[in-house]
Amino acid sequence: MHDRIPAPALPKPAPGLFWNPYLQIFLTVLLTAAAQILLKMGADGSAADDSVGSWLGIRELGSGWTWLGILAFVASFGGWLYALRFLPLGLAFALTNGVHIFVPIGSWLFLHEKISLLRGSGILVIIAGILLLAQSVAKAEERV
Amino acid sequence: MNLTAWGLVFISQLALVAGQIFLKRAMSRRELGEEKARGWIEQLIIGIAAMTIWFLLWLGAMHQVELSKLMPLEGISPLLIVLGAAAFLGERLNGRGWAGVGLTCLGVLLVSVS
Repeated sequence: MHDRIPAPALPKPAPGLFWNPYLQIFLTVLLTAAAQILLKMGADGSAADDSVGSWLGIRELGSGWTWLGILAFVASFGGWLYALRFLPLGLAFALTNGVHIFVPIGSWLFLHEKISLLRGSGILVIIAGILLLAQSVAKAEERV
Repeated sequence: MNLTAWGLVFISQLALVAGQIFLKRAMSRRELGEEKARGWIEQLIIGIAAMTIWFLLWLGAMHQVELSKLMPLEGISPLLIVLGAAAFLGERLNGRGWAGVGLTCLGVLLVSVS
């Protein structure tokens, strides 16, 4: 693992909003949140079972929701790989925490789950963290 | 949550971190062009395989373990990734970056215990 490839002289993305790696991360986050909610709908639809095989989510594959969820995951993966070409992994992955903003909101909209005060404040803390990350990127890019 | 459950969740987190590092290496190597880029597909496949293991274990764990116990672990993964990226990819964050990662992890913890 230690044949370190020359440290990231990260390439510049193609011009245009759609090719902005941060937008792609945002789309990845939205698709992942959708995927999580769809998978939850799939898991709720299949019966509980204590057999050994249930450690792998095989039984859930019987549900159409699960497959839609998998499709959304695969689509999000494309945007993720694209973003990785241009952004450091640690930063990009931290930004995907945005999922935890959209999953509660989506669960509230589609699964009718409540957003408690604690959860709401957690969402605000994540937003603050993402803003700090954005600032740290802006600073780093100023120096280049 | 029994010992097997913890073990499997631990393996899933390990697979996640390793998978992401391989994906990043694959995509970086791809940029080098021609000769030097060789091997990026293999790294991509290893990365995808590791992510598949993570996905199936996570899906299974979601069914076995209460989500409220599982989700806080989700909050730790960005931290693990940042540490892994520092160790294996030589990535460095500035002070604000660390604060941002810390805050998002804290936020995820708050969301998941609520």
